[in-house]
Amino acid sequence: MNNLGSFIIKHHFVILFILLEVISILLLARSQNFHRNRLVNTTNDAVGKVYEWSSEVGNYFRLNTANKQLAEENALLRKQLSVVYDTTSCTYDILNGDTLYEYIPAQVVNNSTTQANNYIIINKGAADGITRDMSVMSTEGIVGVVIDVSRHYASIMSLLHSKSVVGVRIKESQELASLKWETNNYRYGMVEDIPTHIVLKQGDTILTSSHSYIFPEDLMVGTVEEFYPTAVDALNRAKIRFATDFATLRHVYVINDLHKPELDSLKARFQ
Amino acid sequence: MNKTVLQIIRFVVLVLFQVLVINHIRLGGYVHPHIYLIFIMLLPFNTPKWQLLVLGFILGLSIDLFTGTPGLHAGATTLMAFCRPSIIKLVSGNLKFENIQEPSLGQIDGMWMFRYVLCMVFVHHFALFFLESFSFHLIGQVLLRILLSVPVSIFLIMMILYIFKREKKKE
Repeated sequence: MNNLGSFIIKHHFVILFILLEVISILLLARSQNFHRNRLVNTTNDAVGKVYEWSSEVGNYFRLNTANKQLAEENALLRKQLSVVYDTTSCTYDILNGDTLYEYIPAQVVNNSTTQANNYIIINKGAADGITRDMSVMSTEGIVGVVIDVSRHYASIMSLLHSKSVVGVRIKESQELASLKWETNNYRYGMVEDIPTHIVLKQGDTILTSSHSYIFPEDLMVGTVEEFYPTAVDALNRAKIRFATDFATLRHVYVINDLHKPELDSLKARFQ
Repeated sequence: MNKTVLQIIRFVVLVLFQVLVINHIRLGGYVHPHIYLIFIMLLPFNTPKWQLLVLGFILGLSIDLFTGTPGLHAGATTLMAFCRPSIIKLVSGNLKFENIQEPSLGQIDGMWMFRYVLCMVFVHHFALFFLESFSFHLIGQVLLRILLSVPVSIFLIMMILYIFKREKKKE
């Protein structure tokens, strides 16, 4: 026993080092195992608060752009609403009756675009009805998925994440494919598994598909930038430009799919 | 007591500066400078070794809390703190610091400081980007990140140390 004690005292530096490294690597490994544990306690109100203070300062400098974006969206919604007014007599029934999705507006308080795995923190949390697995969009396009919530804040796994996979659809041909991110540029994503008979050209639109179960159907994802036909593999790839500009992201909507519990319980019955 | 307060302030300021300012600088996808390491670099020479490790771990974990990567910065910074005594020995050679309390630019010449910062930053970035590659398995990209980030970090750290030194003279 005495020997052990003196051994520990003699080598306390190395032992402590190994101990701390093991703790670090365990923490890291746990957080990497996305499906089992998601993010471990990383969304917390104190951190969210610090980010919010800091983003409040930055927000003043971006009011102009934010106003413009919101005004443009207002105009678009007005246009869509006018169609409803014209074609139906009782407008409000449509809005109240069979609503599929609820949109919760939120502000981005912290956002990264340069890491291999990027997360976004927003200033709405469990208290505002946000739960895990809700999808998030901006006025321009889809943004990511909520992976963790605290009382007043939520963490979003951005599309800019090495493990992000989203089911998408090519607008023109209705063919399904999947969207990934190649970890080095926040403007571009990679659409994979495109059937061979489909040839895309620059500017073709990519939308979300209903098969993703996360995003509502037909949300804007991005436009094709470059098409890579492959001779060897059976499936083609295409580089797309995200509709969302992640670098200037400020206002987002968290989408609450009101039919999701029903869909989930139906899916669970067959598993 | 006064020194402890100074260290705490330095800790908080560096962490906030890192997560609120430096992390938002976009210099292409590969350059990720880290300046919070200054805290470990500037600890006095006579800091007990175990304290180095514990402080390195806490510092890294504070950054992790903000970046949502538990264990990543903690692991890299602990390794750097572990290497600090050896690095000091390595870059000093026969030099002895008899009257010098802590490795800062005001007290030690610039060339020594540069070599010290270079070794520390390299160890940290090497560990950091390889730990990150847990999920990010492209080794070429990892090496490119290290090669491009190290000079930028060193540059920023030397700048900050230089500004700090100037302030000291005025006192």
